[in-house]
Amino acid sequence: MRESFVARNPSVLVVLAALAVFTILVTLASEALGAGLISTSLVKTLGKTLSLALVAIAMDLVWGYCGILSLGHFAFFGLGGYMIGMWLMYERTRDIVVASLAEAPIPPTEAEIAAAIGNQIFGVVGSSEFPAIWAFADSLALQLALVVLVPGALALVFGWLAFRSRVTGVYLSILTQAMTLALALYLFQNDSGLRGNNGLSGLQNLPGVTAPQSLVSLWFLWASALALGLGYLAAAWMVSGKFGSVLRGIRDNEARVRFLGYQVERYKLAVFTFTACLAGIAGALYYPQAGIINPAEIAPIASIYLAVWVAIGGRGRLYGAVIGAAFVSLVSSWFTGGQAPDVNLGFYTVKWVDWWLIVLGLAFVLVTLFAPKGIGGLVDLWTERRRPERHGADLGPDPGALREKEAVQ
Amino acid sequence: MSTLLEVSGVTVSFDGFRAINNLSFQIGAAELRAIIGPNGAGKTTFMDIVTGKTRPDAGQILWGGRNRSLLGLSEAEIARAGIGRKFQKPTVFEDQSVRDNLLMALRNPRGPLAVLFYRPGRADLEKVASIAAEIGLADALPRKAGELSHGQKQWLEIGMLLAQEPRLLLVDEPAAGMTPAEREHTTGILVEAAKTRAVVVVEHDMEFVRRLNCRVTVLHEGAVLAEGSLDHVTSNQAVIDVYLGR
Repeated sequence: MRESFVARNPSVLVVLAALAVFTILVTLASEALGAGLISTSLVKTLGKTLSLALVAIAMDLVWGYCGILSLGHFAFFGLGGYMIGMWLMYERTRDIVVASLAEAPIPPTEAEIAAAIGNQIFGVVGSSEFPAIWAFADSLALQLALVVLVPGALALVFGWLAFRSRVTGVYLSILTQAMTLALALYLFQNDSGLRGNNGLSGLQNLPGVTAPQSLVSLWFLWASALALGLGYLAAAWMVSGKFGSVLRGIRDNEARVRFLGYQVERYKLAVFTFTACLAGIAGALYYPQAGIINPAEIAPIASIYLAVWVAIGGRGRLYGAVIGAAFVSLVSSWFTGGQAPDVNLGFYTVKWVDWWLIVLGLAFVLVTLFAPKGIGGLVDLWTERRRPERHGADLGPDPGALREKEAVQ
Repeated sequence: MSTLLEVSGVTVSFDGFRAINNLSFQIGAAELRAIIGPNGAGKTTFMDIVTGKTRPDAGQILWGGRNRSLLGLSEAEIARAGIGRKFQKPTVFEDQSVRDNLLMALRNPRGPLAVLFYRPGRADLEKVASIAAEIGLADALPRKAGELSHGQKQWLEIGMLLAQEPRLLLVDEPAAGMTPAEREHTTGILVEAAKTRAVVVVEHDMEFVRRLNCRVTVLHEGAVLAEGSLDHVTSNQAVIDVYLGR
């Protein structure tokens, strides 16, 4: 009577296949293992794009499916990056310190090594003491656990407070902006324990690994592709059954779901926390490829970009989020990277580095007004799916409700 | 007859306006009851109070054989205790299929984890099919709820209520905007439902109430004005004054 999971979600196969083909092609064209058509820095850019697509899936779950316009998910993304960055930086500094002290006439004690590492890492903020939050930095397993636990715990506490008081709509969005701004401002302080505005750097170097960056960048691309594939699968499974029904119900008409006997707050909290963990994982894959993380990464604007990607890709459909994040972030890095040729109008030269934000903002407004389904909507043109004709009205009374123009099928 | 719901001395004010004024109301375990009253009589507020949307300033609401108090429970808890509500405007999940709408309403564990791992079994699908047949939507199961006509949406919402297997059904103006044939059908569904549970129908339309053929409670200014058969209350002078006079 019910079709299988794949039959109900044909996009899963397509996305996974496209991802596999993409990964193989990049590998075959890479400098390390292939024809050398793609530079190492481009491999890194592509790998970073895959992890951005993963955080976009998280955003689509929380916004496109559950109707919570969170403008703070990059805070969770950044926290994931910081957590893995602490281990990377600690271990690498330790290797360097041990190597340099090994030449000393008297073998160094553990305390001396620790002091030297502290001096190396925290010298830039005028300190040499390890803050308490670095307690687990020497353990990869624990820091990997923290990649999920720290964003998850923050989301759990924040979400519990916000959802319990039934804060919804634009007020919730503002609260999430405040959260990410507060976190960024806190991390900017030198005594926050995470090196203030210097952030963590040298993250592209894996401790104990002698392989060249051209190969390491491929490893991270594979890891990002794997995480994106698994994340897509998990998200598609989540929203394909009754859980997805309830989420979409909450998005379109929260009160009605409540009168059906579902505890809306618990669902929101569960989704908010799960997506925060997903964002943390994405961040932990992104920043080793970027090489550096600093508090500017979790400025409020970053989370707004995330919403723009999902909107342009088409919210409420997972592949829309993937397409939106990949397309917009790649085009964005092309324009802002100075590769786009300037346009000379005679009286004025359009420099894309300056004008890109305006183009993006305009694209966002135009998509919202004239193509609410986003890029993902093109798929509907192809599959010719039917949808109820409700003259573009909202599908429910809530502010996050999908508009009829956005609805799939 | 055992009492299922007992509302006693309930009062609610909004900004000093007394929407419900010392209201008392009882309904038995398998009873059909119509509530009528002019605009602003407090009919919808009464439903809001019973379902937990609005907290009363004073009074008591006791539920079930063990006289559990409903005050202080959340909307979701009250719904799970066995009170289902149908809104005045049809509120179904328009973006989802009729089947998904009914599956969501089906009486099953409501926790996020249980729902996450839930997959509809044969028994549940059969139940959905039988409810769909009862509300005349058997052919529409895979269709999107947003495509249905106004009357069909009303039925779907009633079907979702039945799927919840509530012990008390609160139905707000079920016949609004329906054609005569659709009204006929709706009457049948409600009368049938009231054989096994309590059903409270709020309605403006006297003709529809007459067809329900049940006890009628007349509300006026937040209190019970009269109660009894339709003929009894319509011959009551106070009711005539409220409805026709002034």
